[in-house]
Amino acid sequence: MKVTSHYTFSPVSYRQRATIFSVIAVVLVAACVFMGFDPSMLFTEFHYVIDLFKEMTPPRFHDLWQDKTIGLAILETLSMAFMGTLIGGSVALVLAFLAAANTMPLAAVRLMVRAVLSFQRVIPSLFIVLIFVAAVGLGPFAGMLTLVFSTIGTFGQLFTEIIENTQQEPADAIYATGATRWQVIRYVILPQTLPSFTANLFYAYDINIRAAIGLGIFGGGGIGFQLFQAMRLLHYRDALALICVTVLLIVLTEKMSDALRGQLLGGGALK
Amino acid sequence: MNAIFYSLRGIRRYQKSLLVVAVITPLAFGASWVCGVRWDILWKGLADSAALVKLMTPEWDAFAEMLQPALDSVLIALVGTLLGTVLSIFFAFAAASNIAPRWLRNSVRFILGLERAMPEIVILLFLVAAFGMGPFAGVLSLTIGCIGMLGKLIADAIEELDPISLESIEAIGATKIQLLVFGVIQQIMPSVISFALFRFELSIRLSVVLGAVGAGGIGLEMYRAFFLLDYRRATTALVVILAMVFITERLSEFLRKKIKAEGALK
Repeated sequence: MKVTSHYTFSPVSYRQRATIFSVIAVVLVAACVFMGFDPSMLFTEFHYVIDLFKEMTPPRFHDLWQDKTIGLAILETLSMAFMGTLIGGSVALVLAFLAAANTMPLAAVRLMVRAVLSFQRVIPSLFIVLIFVAAVGLGPFAGMLTLVFSTIGTFGQLFTEIIENTQQEPADAIYATGATRWQVIRYVILPQTLPSFTANLFYAYDINIRAAIGLGIFGGGGIGFQLFQAMRLLHYRDALALICVTVLLIVLTEKMSDALRGQLLGGGALK
Repeated sequence: MNAIFYSLRGIRRYQKSLLVVAVITPLAFGASWVCGVRWDILWKGLADSAALVKLMTPEWDAFAEMLQPALDSVLIALVGTLLGTVLSIFFAFAAASNIAPRWLRNSVRFILGLERAMPEIVILLFLVAAFGMGPFAGVLSLTIGCIGMLGKLIADAIEELDPISLESIEAIGATKIQLLVFGVIQQIMPSVISFALFRFELSIRLSVVLGAVGAGGIGLEMYRAFFLLDYRRATTALVVILAMVFITERLSEFLRKKIKAEGALK
């Protein structure tokens, strides 16, 4: 038996490694020079960060309680993500049944729906939000529509895969008793997939909360917009308070979504 | 009598679904009130946009002007991901329970969690306020976001390493650094590369959005075009972005396959 040692560099692999690393290093340096990105600026200009930090601390939470718009902005972000998940998730579910091979017999429809889904996935959300802002004006409605759009794209694909991964045997068994396609979907596919659909919707909510904050900056409303305003008006202490609220919001949503998902997939509810 | 019994049974059977509907409906109405949902505006706006779409034939002359910003965006993503990956390996060492002491591991994990909880765009707003607009802030915010994500993934990969192989290296008298180089880095390299490629795809998409907030590049071009209601130029930017995303994704897939075929740089 030949014993190969993983833990020494043979000359060939050493040369290969050296080549790869030097190529990466050259590309990195060339890119830095081309962009005018100077890593040493991080150290020479670091006092700006310290200055900014001094201006930002302590965060002023005062406005959070005083100003009603902030509370409304948080509510707006939450609602945007909720509606985006609800509407987007429902549409994604319908489209997924139309795109899955074991629920949609017509290949033409499948192909069309799949094309729509991948089209929605590749269009950058920046473009979508700007279009919707042009169509319905600034505000959370535009952000919500963007979230609906992106949720359909991402989760439509995922739901299709979930449906296609269900077991075929129970479906065959029910077909054999003379059931229609609808009955098979209702009594075989839906019970098998419902827990993971619901779990993925919680995940979608988690993603959408994050996205909603980013979208706010481009006119989607909500807490992202308030943060952008505070930064632009140099109200740094308010901004830090808003950042704290944002981080808290994201962490809480993530924990909640994880817990609910774990409970759903670990067996239990909705059986 | 029987009829009532059966109808009650029907309700009981769908009890859970009814409960879910009963909870979600008021929530949805509340949320749509907060969002100011006005479907009539949407239909009207979309009808207007349909007319707009006719105006949105890409402006072919603008392509040449878009190439430089597109390259900027790609480079921001590339440098951000590379720096982030290299740094995240160090963070991962400090965040792995089988290498770092407990207090260090927990505190580094906390920092990584905090970085992950902050969207890149918020980090960028902060950095733009400190360093001014430009690729520097963009690269740095992508680096920080990359550390938050890859640091955790790599640390998890290190914690899952077989302790026997590490112990056997220690047993022959390797120093701590030798242990890291020959025991840990050797084994995690394949996963590091695949994480980095995955993150690169994400960074490309992010660099478009970040560009509009102040990192420069193709995102800024598109944002500016929209701002000036120059929809043809915006469409051109969109086409360039789509090409950029498509090409980088193909490239990353190609590299991933190649690395898999060659046994991950052994």
